[in-house]
Amino acid sequence: MGGMIMDKNNSTPFLELREVKKTFSLASGQVTALEHISLTIEKGELVALVGPSGSGKTTLLNIIGSLDRPSKGEVILEGIRIDILSEEDLVHFRREKFSFIFQDAKPLRMLNVLENTLLPFNFFKPKNRNGNIKDEGIEIIKSLGLGHRIYHMPSQLSGGEIQRVAIARALITHPAMILADEPTANLDRDNRLFVIDTFRKLSKEKDIAVVFSTHDLEVANRADRIVHLKDGVFLKDEIISCNPCQV
Amino acid sequence: MELIVLAMKDILRRKGKSLYLLIAIVIPVAILSTILLTFDNADSSLSDLASKFGFTLIVQPKNVRVDRINQIGVNTQEYIPEGVIGEIEKIIREVIRNPKEKVITVVRLYKEGNVLAGKSEVNSVVAGIDFKTELEAKPSWTITSGRWPMGDREAVLGGTYASTQRVSVSDTVTIGDSAFTVVGILQNYNSAEDYMVFAPFAEVQKLFDKAGVVSVINIQSASLDKDKKLLQAAVEDINKNVPNIMALSPQQFSTMKYTLLKKTLKFLVAIVAATIAVSIFSIFNIVTSVLYSRVKEIGLLKSVGASRSQLLIIFLSEYLTIGLIGGMIGYPLGLLMTYLLDSFLLKLGAGIRVNLFYVPVALLVGIFCSFIASFYPTYRLSRIKITESFRTQWEG
Repeated sequence: MGGMIMDKNNSTPFLELREVKKTFSLASGQVTALEHISLTIEKGELVALVGPSGSGKTTLLNIIGSLDRPSKGEVILEGIRIDILSEEDLVHFRREKFSFIFQDAKPLRMLNVLENTLLPFNFFKPKNRNGNIKDEGIEIIKSLGLGHRIYHMPSQLSGGEIQRVAIARALITHPAMILADEPTANLDRDNRLFVIDTFRKLSKEKDIAVVFSTHDLEVANRADRIVHLKDGVFLKDEIISCNPCQV
Repeated sequence: MELIVLAMKDILRRKGKSLYLLIAIVIPVAILSTILLTFDNADSSLSDLASKFGFTLIVQPKNVRVDRINQIGVNTQEYIPEGVIGEIEKIIREVIRNPKEKVITVVRLYKEGNVLAGKSEVNSVVAGIDFKTELEAKPSWTITSGRWPMGDREAVLGGTYASTQRVSVSDTVTIGDSAFTVVGILQNYNSAEDYMVFAPFAEVQKLFDKAGVVSVINIQSASLDKDKKLLQAAVEDINKNVPNIMALSPQQFSTMKYTLLKKTLKFLVAIVAATIAVSIFSIFNIVTSVLYSRVKEIGLLKSVGASRSQLLIIFLSEYLTIGLIGGMIGYPLGLLMTYLLDSFLLKLGAGIRVNLFYVPVALLVGIFCSFIASFYPTYRLSRIKITESFRTQWEG
């Protein structure tokens, strides 16, 4: 079963996966996590990956974000095959193109909210920025409703606020794509909807492609597309016309 | 610079684990510093003491443990009969073959007893000496206040003894039933003499019923001072011909103690090597455990753009800083241990001599231990994939 190819402007897609396969070698033998996955994602799209546990959502996110390499197939971002880049090149590539939000990735405990937001710039210099990075960080934090928490430590934050810090950190680098693995898993309904609506706003206003995995249909239905996976293969690639839909 | 700041903030956050690491580094550094300082102090102080001692040859009762050069014959119940003094002088005359040369023989009788000094009675070492011949042999011997005794019932006190007992010139000290007027206070020489009461030799013999015996015989001869072979011959002849005594030169004393010290040091160096090995193993375990608990943090740092080399810089900076602090604490602790070791065990009388050369040595050892123990786990964890780091069950 192949994935739907979106070719918005009849030009090279922003991201393209061609016949991707991923197998893992375990003590019990080889396990196929993904098979025959072909998919395109355009800038400004909000894509939800949905499926039961073990369906390959996280593996697919990792391959899209170049955190893992496919066993077979190609991953092409803006015309460049990223699955064959060296580890060193990938570090630079990821810095420029991707931001990640993990379900488990808590902020660093020794840094406050602002320092956690600016964390990437401990490792590389921001490019093409006119304004002050610190001011921009404060603006992003405020826009996420954490204006009163700028200098607070992570231990003083709630689960929803911690996830907003992760979003702030993802935004500060001006990525072309945000990849989020179960970003709403441990949040209450208000915070879940806040996170996903923020993604939606970002994808539309800043033309960022956002791909996230979720079990939650209410959350998934607020995306532009829902890619359904089961046992490592596509079940359905669904375009959502109503946004947000009533569940 | 940002990476180092991150590392320093992390040290402060993990105070408990950092403290464990610090202790694991401080212990070997302190032990190493102790050994280096002890060796150094002993090396310089033994030869220093021997040269300051002022005598060419010492004769003490046989089978008495040689401890401090200034304390030979003090802590013993063994004595030398006065009759052998003439015999010893005769042997020396025969060795130097110069009848005109002046040979000074100084005898001392040491006895421990209760002395009423100031308002309290205190157990003290009383040294019976002949002030005139002592000063002839040791003209550098100085009193800080008062004068040298001229009468039978006059005494001089060691500097420390006088200050601790709050006794000054013109006060009285009572030894047994006899009262002695303190006429002088000796300068402190950082030796056993600082704690003694000096009274005329004949009076001390009478007081303690030790007529006809002495504790130690010190001899000064210019010829023997100049010629080591002659000195050696004199020592051998005395030991061969005079029974129940042991003659030795101050230089021999130094050599004996030095040989003993070197044997002790070899043993201590083995302990240091073992301590460093145990320390490295402990640091390795602590670092491994800490890093595994930080796997998700490593994944996070990599996901926001940290390269492997940057992670190595962060983690190694943390551990090397702790190593450096360990070295900074270990050296003064080593100084303290040197003092305690000398005071209670080795009793070299060397005191503490702060050798600044050992400061960088201590710092380097701290850094070395830390680096050796932390490099492998740090290197290994820096290679972990982001995807693996979030799959791990370890919790930070």
